[in-house]
Amino acid sequence: MARDNVDLLQGTLDVLILKTLAAGAMHGWGIAQRIQQISQDVLRVNQGSLYPALHRLEGEGWIAAEWGASENNRKAKYYRLTRSGQRQLEAETESWRRLAAAVGRILQTA
Amino acid sequence: MKSTLARAVRALRALLQRRRQERELDDEVRHHLELETDANVRRGMSPDEARRAALVSFGGIDQTKEDTRETWAGRFLEVLGQDVRYGLRGLRRSPGFTAAVVLTLGLGIGANTAVFSLINGVLLKPLPYARGEQLVVVRQPDAHSSTADLGFSPLEVRDYRDMSRAFDGFVEYHSMDFTLIGGGDPRRVRAGVVSANFFDVLEVSPLLGRTFRASDEDHGADAVLVLSHGYWRSLGGDPAIVGRRFEMNDRVHTVVGVLPPIPQYPNENDVYMPSTACPFRARVVDNRRARMTTAFARMAPGVTLAQAQADVGAVSARLRASYPDAFAPGTDAHVVLSPLKDDLVQKARPTFLMLLATVALVLLIACANVANLTLARLLERARELAIRSALGAGRARLLRQLLTESTIVALAGGALGLLLAWSARGLLSAFAARLTSRASEVEIDGAVLLFTLGISVLTGILAGTLPGLPGRRKIADTLLADNGRTTSNRRRHRMRTGLVAWQLALSFILLIGAALTLRSFDNLRRVDAGFRPDHVLTARLNLNFSTYLTAEHRVDADKVNAFLRTVEDSVRQRAGVVAIGAAWTFPLNNAFQNDGTFTIEGRGETAGPPPKATFIGASGAYFDALRVPLLRGRTFEERDQPGGPGAVIVNQRLARRHWGEADPLGRRISSDGGKTWRTIVGVVGDVRQEGLESEPGGTVYLPFREFPGYAPTVFVRTQDDPARAAEDLRAATRRADPQTAVSGVRTLEDIRGEALSSPRLTSALLGLFAMLALVITAAGLGGLIAYSVSQRTQEIGIRMALGADRRRITAMVLREGMTSVFTGLALGGAGALALSRLVSGLLFGVGPNDPLCFAGSAVVLVLAALAGCFLPARRATAVSPMVALRSEA
Repeated sequence: MARDNVDLLQGTLDVLILKTLAAGAMHGWGIAQRIQQISQDVLRVNQGSLYPALHRLEGEGWIAAEWGASENNRKAKYYRLTRSGQRQLEAETESWRRLAAAVGRILQTA
Repeated sequence: MKSTLARAVRALRALLQRRRQERELDDEVRHHLELETDANVRRGMSPDEARRAALVSFGGIDQTKEDTRETWAGRFLEVLGQDVRYGLRGLRRSPGFTAAVVLTLGLGIGANTAVFSLINGVLLKPLPYARGEQLVVVRQPDAHSSTADLGFSPLEVRDYRDMSRAFDGFVEYHSMDFTLIGGGDPRRVRAGVVSANFFDVLEVSPLLGRTFRASDEDHGADAVLVLSHGYWRSLGGDPAIVGRRFEMNDRVHTVVGVLPPIPQYPNENDVYMPSTACPFRARVVDNRRARMTTAFARMAPGVTLAQAQADVGAVSARLRASYPDAFAPGTDAHVVLSPLKDDLVQKARPTFLMLLATVALVLLIACANVANLTLARLLERARELAIRSALGAGRARLLRQLLTESTIVALAGGALGLLLAWSARGLLSAFAARLTSRASEVEIDGAVLLFTLGISVLTGILAGTLPGLPGRRKIADTLLADNGRTTSNRRRHRMRTGLVAWQLALSFILLIGAALTLRSFDNLRRVDAGFRPDHVLTARLNLNFSTYLTAEHRVDADKVNAFLRTVEDSVRQRAGVVAIGAAWTFPLNNAFQNDGTFTIEGRGETAGPPPKATFIGASGAYFDALRVPLLRGRTFEERDQPGGPGAVIVNQRLARRHWGEADPLGRRISSDGGKTWRTIVGVVGDVRQEGLESEPGGTVYLPFREFPGYAPTVFVRTQDDPARAAEDLRAATRRADPQTAVSGVRTLEDIRGEALSSPRLTSALLGLFAMLALVITAAGLGGLIAYSVSQRTQEIGIRMALGADRRRITAMVLREGMTSVFTGLALGGAGALALSRLVSGLLFGVGPNDPLCFAGSAVVLVLAALAGCFLPARRATAVSPMVALRSEA
């Protein structure tokens, strides 16, 4: 199963988290599941780096956390995108697009 | 980017909420695992299997938590706190290591703090006057007779003040000894005689009363005094002293103010008086050639030294044109400005900088030792570090831990050093006082504290990072796998050897420096100053000169002679007095300057500079009392008095310089351009009048009875302890004239000792620092060898089992130590050769590359190194082969 997985590039986890949360508040496990689903199991989130990343983004003020009840009625920590997180997401999306386009062009011509 | 303040606030708040944060992290992770387990169950696993799979997919829970904590705000402080706590615990566990390191660093930092307090007080601090950088000393050197400063006459100072434009103030200063009468014994006071606006130019405000104002210089103004802070204190520190009256120079002087406790420039005075009140100045005030004062000026704001220099240069040219007779023919005088601060510290600077370089090297050596000790301890702690690494401490965290520990010990060392420097502060300012009048500004102030803190932290960082440098990439891995035999370990050992070699090199340099200063001190100590200092008491008899004036306001030589004869006869009555002589000054007195030019009868004007000599009045018995050898002719006799034959005595140097081997007796010289001639009646040995290190120049002795002056210095040679003659001298003086102040009572041995005290202290300090460095280095070398021996226990055991005897093992261990020593000698020798030229100015009678000093230092270093290696070598031979072979380490 690990065969088709792609390790996340350094720094890409942050933008994926921000994008995921743009759809609405979510807890850690949910975020990991969501990224995996949408990428059709190509991207597999390493949990060892998920929580440090969440706490770091929280520290930067891009996401905020609050406790609420989860689907199975347990206490869960829900993260949501803040306004400055929204701006950060836009900025990172833009720079990601530019990078991807540039890499794509190089791969086509080479 | 958030502001630093906001970050700090967030960090603090986060720290306070840390417990809740921890609990929430636990909940969050647990929740994640539950959801994952549920999902696995839904995929069809059994509950147990589902849970295990969830745990596996999550990975190292503790590692993840630790990584997450690292992102928390305020984490840095928290980790620091943990590291400090952990470090303290570790240090408590090895008190020997801690004590050794704190002591080593304490000595190193203490020495640096002490020397920095000197440098800060004397060289770095601005002058304690407002805008002190604008103050300049004005000098008038004469290139023709190579005189450093002719001085200024009062008229010249007035002209410079009126004609220059670059200055806010231009003032005159001279210092005189007067006798203060009123209450108890007459006291000699050193009076600074200054322009009325002197203190305004320096911008000094009085502590009590006022300083001078322009009206104090008016004709017929009341005589006023301003007391120095020190003199006021010595009078009892009466807060109501303003208005008190003293009699001085036959006039009543009223105290109008007291100065604050500032250092006084250019020298320390007891009292100050306005220039017009000085009776000596009043006599020559119209004479442009009577250059008795020193000039100071304050440059106007925005004026540079070069501009001010150009300004006085122009004034000087105009004055030369207006008053062609103001200078002796042939004089080539010009005016030169120099910043007051440079002037005051000129003598201290090279010595202080050499001390600074020395203590910096000592600290570097101490640092290397601490790094070595830390490295050794690191290897001992390999297992502990490996466990911490396994528990999730990252490489950076481990290095940070090391750094924290070394900073803790360095700070403790800094505190110890501060204590050492603080307890030595009295000694330090006494030392500085011999080199500069800024000595009283030497103190442990904020700047010094900051410096100490700074070098402590720096030392900690240096000592803490050095051990981590090699194998930094794999510190955790190697320590984990370490059984004492890894490559990185060998690299560490090589690094330790290198550190020790550098320590040895630096110690060698310091030893050479100390040896050079010790030798030059020894040379200075053995200098033959041209007189016999033993068994001679000297004192200055300060006459109340106003009662010794002729009708023409000149010195009444007959009256002074009568006084002096009474004193001499009375002292001679005392048993054990061999001779009593008098002169204008005592030998080795660098403050006495009375250089002048003269002409020799029958020799026309030559192209070169005119003959120069120091003129000193001395009585015939002076040469007996000081045991200055009479080489030709006679010394002065009673007939050499006013109206006498006009005799002079010259010293051997002057006789040789101008007459070679010919006999100078009967030749005549003139010091006033040929108006009057004096006959040479004797030639005496050379006396070092200016100081031990200055070669005696030409000296012309004038008959004291003809030119007695108001403050004769007397010399009493006794058979017994000369100090015991002091009371007789005082009593005799009191009987002859109760208004005479007796000052400077001490023996010639004291004067000679005083002249040696500054070089003695300098060489003692350098010697002390070099010894300190040597001990530290020897201990470091010993530690290294001991470690190496402990690592080679097995090898040594095998060698011994195969028949190597103790001597061979000892030699093997010593050889290892000596390899470092010879590397150190080569490096240090090269370094010393490169550096020694820098100190040549501080040396006396020894070259900077003196082979004896180099060789001697090398021997001392080798002996110290052998001593350091001896103990571990002994331990090596004590290894029992059986034990060694069984030891698996």
